[in-house]
Amino acid sequence: MPWLRFFRRDRWDQERARELQGYLDQEIADNLARGLPPAEARAAALRKLGNPTSIREEIYRMNSLGFIETLWQDIRYGVRGLLKSPGFTLVALFSLALGIGATTAIFSVVYGVLISPYPYAHPERIWAPQIVDRKDPQQVRMAHHLREYVELKKLPAFSDVMATLPEDRLLTGNRPPENFRSINVTANAFRFLGVPPVLGRTIQPTDIRPDGQPDPVIVLSFGAWQRLFDGSPSALGQTLVLNESPYTVIGVMPPRFGWWTHDGGWIALPEDPRDNRTAFAIVRLKDGVSPGAAQDQLQAFHLRLAQLTPADFPKAGFQTLLKNYLDVTVASGEMQSSLHLLFGAVGFLLLIACANVANLQMARATARTHEIALRMSLGAGRVRVFRQLLTESVVLSAAGGLLGVVFALVITRAIVALMPEFYVPNEARIAVNSWALLFTFAISVFTGIVFGLAPALRCSRPDLVDALKDAGRTSASGNAGGRSRNLLVIAEVALSVVLLMGASLTIRGFLQLQSLDVGFRPDRVLMVGLTVQPKRYSTYEQRIAFTERVVDAVGTLPGVRSVAIGNGGLPFGGQRTGYSLEGQPSAESRSMVIGLISSGYAQTLGIPLRAGRLITPREVAHAEPVALINETAARLWPAGVSPIGRRIHFNLLEKPPAQMLLSPSLTATFTVVGVIGDTRNDGLRDPTLPSAYLPYSVIAPVSRTLAVRTDGKPMLLLHAVEERVRTVERDQPLSRPISLDEILGMETVQPRFNMALFTFFGFLGLALGAVGIYSMLSYNVARRTREIGIRMALGAARGDVLQLMLSMGGKLVLIGLAAGLAGSLLLARLLRSEVFQVPSTDPLALGGVVVLLSAAALLACFVPARRAAGLDPMSALRHD
Amino acid sequence: MPPKNDHPLQGEMLQGTLDLLILQTLVPGPAHGHTIAHVIEHRSDDVLQVEHGSLYPALHRLETRGWIASYWGVSENHRKARFYRLTTLGRKQLTAHTDNWDRLVRAVNRVLRPAEE
Repeated sequence: MPWLRFFRRDRWDQERARELQGYLDQEIADNLARGLPPAEARAAALRKLGNPTSIREEIYRMNSLGFIETLWQDIRYGVRGLLKSPGFTLVALFSLALGIGATTAIFSVVYGVLISPYPYAHPERIWAPQIVDRKDPQQVRMAHHLREYVELKKLPAFSDVMATLPEDRLLTGNRPPENFRSINVTANAFRFLGVPPVLGRTIQPTDIRPDGQPDPVIVLSFGAWQRLFDGSPSALGQTLVLNESPYTVIGVMPPRFGWWTHDGGWIALPEDPRDNRTAFAIVRLKDGVSPGAAQDQLQAFHLRLAQLTPADFPKAGFQTLLKNYLDVTVASGEMQSSLHLLFGAVGFLLLIACANVANLQMARATARTHEIALRMSLGAGRVRVFRQLLTESVVLSAAGGLLGVVFALVITRAIVALMPEFYVPNEARIAVNSWALLFTFAISVFTGIVFGLAPALRCSRPDLVDALKDAGRTSASGNAGGRSRNLLVIAEVALSVVLLMGASLTIRGFLQLQSLDVGFRPDRVLMVGLTVQPKRYSTYEQRIAFTERVVDAVGTLPGVRSVAIGNGGLPFGGQRTGYSLEGQPSAESRSMVIGLISSGYAQTLGIPLRAGRLITPREVAHAEPVALINETAARLWPAGVSPIGRRIHFNLLEKPPAQMLLSPSLTATFTVVGVIGDTRNDGLRDPTLPSAYLPYSVIAPVSRTLAVRTDGKPMLLLHAVEERVRTVERDQPLSRPISLDEILGMETVQPRFNMALFTFFGFLGLALGAVGIYSMLSYNVARRTREIGIRMALGAARGDVLQLMLSMGGKLVLIGLAAGLAGSLLLARLLRSEVFQVPSTDPLALGGVVVLLSAAALLACFVPARRAAGLDPMSALRHD
Repeated sequence: MPPKNDHPLQGEMLQGTLDLLILQTLVPGPAHGHTIAHVIEHRSDDVLQVEHGSLYPALHRLETRGWIASYWGVSENHRKARFYRLTTLGRKQLTAHTDNWDRLVRAVNRVLRPAEE
């Protein structure tokens, strides 16, 4: 095995040495025998043989593996060189570790959330149909009636179709009652999704009996298995009582499988066309069918349906879209936008780090010109020197990358902790995985080449004679490369300005949100969901009676100030509807939000009454047609006209959904009795919508939200509230207990996430930029020591020197600052994103950046400038 | 820095020629480097004046190819010396390469001295 030679070559070399010595001995002996004097004999023998060392070297090289050999040599040489200048190496390593680490961390998040969030088979090949209203593209219908689904399945463009119908069922039996998320899926769903269970089996087509009824079996999520059965394998075959029917546990899915729930289960959904419910369909396309062709087919299908049942489709016409599932679920909204921007930001950070190291490398290489020139005059080829310098850079960046991984682990953990859960799919797992490591490796090598290329190119073609003559003297004349170093510093400053602008805008946006007057008092309010058993409470009267008794029972609890129950406006949401105002021209496209409330609403949320009066308990009990409106709605009437006593007609109540339980006295026209203050009823960052509040008793849905204003901490009362509700209904669970403060907190989680990360990366950029300026100026001071000495000898005062150095740095900083501001304004225009809530021209944000950057840059300039000013002219003149 | 490969003139043919000469020298029996060098020099009537040192890399190359083998022995004047001998593979290669060489020489001669044909 020839490559073994590689390891034995030292022994071989010794043998060669002995062999060559043997030749010389023999030849000398022969020459002596011929009568030559000893000295002559030896010289002649050596002449005959040639240079023994170069012979040995040649043989040695024959045993080595060429490229790898020199590579190894370059690496060792590079490491030695780096260790020799620990200051440079430390700064460079640290810069690179920060740049590469931050990039790796964000890549890990992007990979986990955007690139590969799902454990399902080929998620990129799953498509979801959407029906978009032509007139109002915001109105999108995504669900199909089961009878439509049965037909949709038959379209030839699809190879596989499945449907999902989420449902909450009441879990009872010998456990505390709870709302159990049970997702109805068609029997082919698990094959469609392609994930095997960790225990037992999944739902099969055979779980639908020949008569079309589903077998009462359930597949549990990993979370439910842990929670209900402590993760015991004996869970298989046990029963869960859901909506009073027993279901047998047949399997458990792995932790990452979170199809519509990560703590509930999945139940077989029969494809019964008589079932009037709607389900969400997703499809896979047949091989060779383009999404466009499939979309056309689907559109034709929908048009046919629209002719049969026009009521199910938008009146003004519609368009069918086939959206990639990843786009529907993941790539929407602010998180995606935020991650994309963050990825860009860390890219900038990496560039700053690269510029930093390139600058250092350039300065160092310039100082090494003499060494390199010497080596080249001794016979080293240009390519060889170039490769060696580049290898050194890559060694540096690889070490930086290694350190960066450690840094990335820390940042990734912090990001995950900061990450708003509900913006990320259940299935997403964020970790520095092998893809992220591969990515790190790639960018390490890449950055090594990027920042190493310029210095290596420059230094591998020095003017040998000049460089040697210069004899290592750090002269002021050798200013080649000075301009590219200046450019690098300007670029660094400009990039840090852009990063800081991002940080500054997110901070401003967050602070604005924090100081926002929401219009209600969010402290000390407990919110819980109440969902009654539809079968147990099947009539309007039963449900209203239940709600009233709950309000009474909870209202008399000690520590409770007031209670409200309803739907919508708690504090967000509600049904939107078209409306017309009595005595005003009707407006086609405008809409209003309806909140269904009990009499304690304004009091419980702390919304002030502006005019008129509140709704009384009596009016709620009898579902009287009275309404409160907010100030925005009151402004729908012309100025000077009081809305009190006027009437509003709500289109929605004219023709309410069929399956809804309605008040027997329901009308669509309500009289305004009072005006209450505006609240942020559509989320904190959107303007207040005109809103009307009606007695909750006009309809009786299954679910209501209960809000309780307490004297002390709201969560402390949760148990007592639960007990009171149980006195009304033994099996009544409370779902999603949360305080109003927490709900508002959720609204600011994403802005806080943006702010934290942009600020963090902004400051990293600033620090790296400052280090860049500092090292550039320090190098210049060192290089110009003699010049400064001469200036001082000729009468320059210390202040003059200080000014000279400061103006040198200051000029670069100013140019960089201007370029950065211009760049960020341009970028902000290009990437109009909801991440930035304030305009990029916000004076406070701009001012903050300018002040911060100038301060940091001044500090970075000042230290080396002072050093220059503090030089002793005599020793400076003698400086090599 | 090791010097770059600095034998621009010693192309494949010449290198192969040196190999051939070494192999031929070893046909009568094993010999050590000093002997091989002198034999080649004398047999060629001192035309092939090579530095004896350049022999050693060639020996090494032939040995790694398995055409010759080496062992430490005692020379005619009682010194320790490294002896080289032909291996079976080497013998075959010598025959093959000698044929090639003859063909080459004939071919070159035909080109250079067409009249003599």
